[in-house]
Amino acid sequence: MGLLQRSRVLVRGETRRVSVSAFLLVAPFLVLVLLFSYLPLIGWVTALYDYKPALGLGRSEFVGLQWFEMLVSSRTQLEQIGQVMANTFAMSFLGIATSLLPVVFAIFLNEVRANWFRNMVQTLTTLPNFISWVLVYMIAFSLFSTSGLVNTTLHDWGLITIPVKFLDSDQHVWLTMLAWSLWKGLGWGAILYLAAIAGIDPTLYESARIDGANRFQLMRHITFPELMPTYIVLLLLSIANLLNNGLEQYYVFQNAFNKEHIQVLDLYVYNVGITGNSISLGTALSMLKSVISVALLVTANAIAKRARGTSII
Amino acid sequence: MKTRKTIALLMAPLLGTMSLAACTASGPEETNTSIDQDWSQADPITIDVFSATANYMGIQGGWFGKIVKDKFNMELNIIAPNVAGGGDTLYNTRVAGGDLGDLVIVGKGKQLDELVEGGLVLDASPYYESMTNAAQYDPAVQRLNEGKDGVYGFPSEVSSLNPTEPADPIDPTFGAYLRWDYYGEAGYPEIGTLEDLLPVLKTMQDAHPTGENGKPTYGISLFKDWDGNMMTMGKQPGAHVYGYEEVGFVLAKADGSDYQSALDSDGAYVRGLRFFFEANQMGLVDPESTTQNWDTMFTKYQGGQVLLSWWPWLGQSAYNTDQNTAEGKGFMLVPMADQKISASGGSPYGGGLGLTYSIGSSAEDPARIAAFVDWLYSPEGAATTFAGPEGLTWEIVDGEPVLTEFGRQAHLGGGAEVPAEWGGGDYADGGSALNAANLAFNEVNPNTGLPYNYKAWPSYQATAANPLTEDWSARMGGATTTMDYLKENDQIIVAPGAGFTIPADDAEIEAIRNQVKATIVEHSWKMVFAKDEAEFESLLASLQETAEGLGFEKVLEVDMANAKAQDEARVEVAKEFG
Repeated sequence: MGLLQRSRVLVRGETRRVSVSAFLLVAPFLVLVLLFSYLPLIGWVTALYDYKPALGLGRSEFVGLQWFEMLVSSRTQLEQIGQVMANTFAMSFLGIATSLLPVVFAIFLNEVRANWFRNMVQTLTTLPNFISWVLVYMIAFSLFSTSGLVNTTLHDWGLITIPVKFLDSDQHVWLTMLAWSLWKGLGWGAILYLAAIAGIDPTLYESARIDGANRFQLMRHITFPELMPTYIVLLLLSIANLLNNGLEQYYVFQNAFNKEHIQVLDLYVYNVGITGNSISLGTALSMLKSVISVALLVTANAIAKRARGTSII
Repeated sequence: MKTRKTIALLMAPLLGTMSLAACTASGPEETNTSIDQDWSQADPITIDVFSATANYMGIQGGWFGKIVKDKFNMELNIIAPNVAGGGDTLYNTRVAGGDLGDLVIVGKGKQLDELVEGGLVLDASPYYESMTNAAQYDPAVQRLNEGKDGVYGFPSEVSSLNPTEPADPIDPTFGAYLRWDYYGEAGYPEIGTLEDLLPVLKTMQDAHPTGENGKPTYGISLFKDWDGNMMTMGKQPGAHVYGYEEVGFVLAKADGSDYQSALDSDGAYVRGLRFFFEANQMGLVDPESTTQNWDTMFTKYQGGQVLLSWWPWLGQSAYNTDQNTAEGKGFMLVPMADQKISASGGSPYGGGLGLTYSIGSSAEDPARIAAFVDWLYSPEGAATTFAGPEGLTWEIVDGEPVLTEFGRQAHLGGGAEVPAEWGGGDYADGGSALNAANLAFNEVNPNTGLPYNYKAWPSYQATAANPLTEDWSARMGGATTTMDYLKENDQIIVAPGAGFTIPADDAEIEAIRNQVKATIVEHSWKMVFAKDEAEFESLLASLQETAEGLGFEKVLEVDMANAKAQDEARVEVAKEFG
């Protein structure tokens, strides 16, 4: 009894010590979160000023909610924002809708018997992930511009007389952008799944083989279901990043012809704030992103609560 | 020709973004403020030069770099937002950091005002006392610094010419220039109005499907680098050929007789877009227009792949080399019966691009920078900027300036290698990377009694005649220069050089303007490449509706008032000096 009590006291003391040191361990990350996620929010104050860099915030004129009023006061402004949101969600959802492709790719790649071939394919498909979007655009340009390889070849073969405008057209912008990001990200996305496949218990395959399953049945009934947990986690993460579809890709590909359908929220903010030199208005617009993110989070939370009885917050 | 080109090059991107207001600040007390000393013996320094007009980034090298080094023991580290790209991003980043540069060359209106207010440029009045060359143009200096508590900027392209006389007596800035040799082959068809150019171009393009370099020829080639309030190329045919100038979203006739909104369906700008649209329907527009930049397009002109140029400093600079003109080939002004081209008059208060030369408040040696700026206003500095160093590209023979053999090769023969003792390298690459001029191109050099512009020297004109100009002159009623022809036929409007500064927009107007700008440029390109008439019209309607919805009318009102104020200033300056 005495022994038990003593150990309980010991445990309590230890718990406190452990929790202090655990806090110390986590503290640097809390500081980082504070620095990079909360501190920048102070920048929102720019939206309340007519910010001029030469004068600094202190001497720029305070305009209150003028920029917000401007954004909601005109139908055209709202329509533009609407179009931008449509682009943002469309491209994000297309990305999510195709998120199963790396899984399929990994499964098939895993079935390739010739090691050298499998490695080669994996290397070649992973490589584009390390090419910056600027270089991707250069590749796209030299292939698909009006005097690029594709047009020249088609012309030489006598298939066309007027060059086809692949880049400066408004046709299927969302799909072509999807194709480029798939080309860039497919191999990279598959790496995680290949690792997961390597971790699947071999006995599962053995017993299935004993039961007479062929290769496709193994893929369908063992590999695929075993990958699902990984896939679901990644899917949830990508939904959390719904609005963050980045801007580099769209920035390099944008031009007067495809602008209407390529401008995602991040790019729109950049175009208004930096290119258009209206930094305060751009800030006001960028706050929209946080508002929508919070709305999405609350919705997701409500769904999770109803479906699983637990809540994130 | 190269110098002329580089200076004129910058006209377009800078048009219509300048303004002026009142501010306060005071410069630091300096002990030695005289610029009169032998700077060549001073400690070597490198200064950062932020130049809104520069097309080169890095240390100034070549012959101009050597002259500055020899005279001031100073190297110029050029910072060029044009090279960096991204519009005002570089400017904004640097001013937010509190140091734009040691020597700052930016727009004299809004930018200078905020730099003064933000304390980024210093009051140069202590140095100004000994800047004897700049003091020659004191009225212009005073006008630029009006309402400011000191001397914060020095004006660009100041001229002593009468404001009602064209600042450039030889070439206007705008105009339609055709490949004269092909035009001749086509039988010199009559061109009554703008749209008559299209069939002529069609004939010329069909007759010469490839250029000298074997690549396809196009009547028209476009580029987008300088798009601002509007699509820059879109302004050329309808507006600039008919004497309209851009004041924000207003196109104002240079003589003050007409003010149009850029979006009027039957206005000058839309006419220009329609012209390109029709040209594209006829297969006359280079399909690479949508993606190429200035350099690519310029190379096409050099290779004889483009048949029409809207600027003398594009087609003629690129293609009218000594070799081509000797064979009768080259770009010359078209006799379009109803053209009415505008030209800037002499600008006693500074003009052209409307720039200011200001000294950064954190400059290490402001007196030396002031000495350098002063030198740029001196006959030696101006002659060097415009014609090259005396003794290398030109010399005085019998009391008159004459281009040397080297000078002819460098300016007209397509470039030359500079001897090592002059700094070495290619001549054009070694020119002043500031790409801005303190004096007007045609200002008279007091040492020679002739303009700095070598094209105006009798010695040049005596040798300028060639088969191309002779043929042109014969067809144009014996005119010797473009300006000569335009004056003779009453096809020129001289806009008196008032040095008018467009006032800064308030915050809301500026934000609306930037959004509308983007919409106009985006729609304009789509309209030019629309697949049919119906699409063109629907894009125009959509442009008008979107611009309207963003608040176009509010901005237009401001621009209209500015355009009228500019006209008043012109009338006034014409009265004052005329």
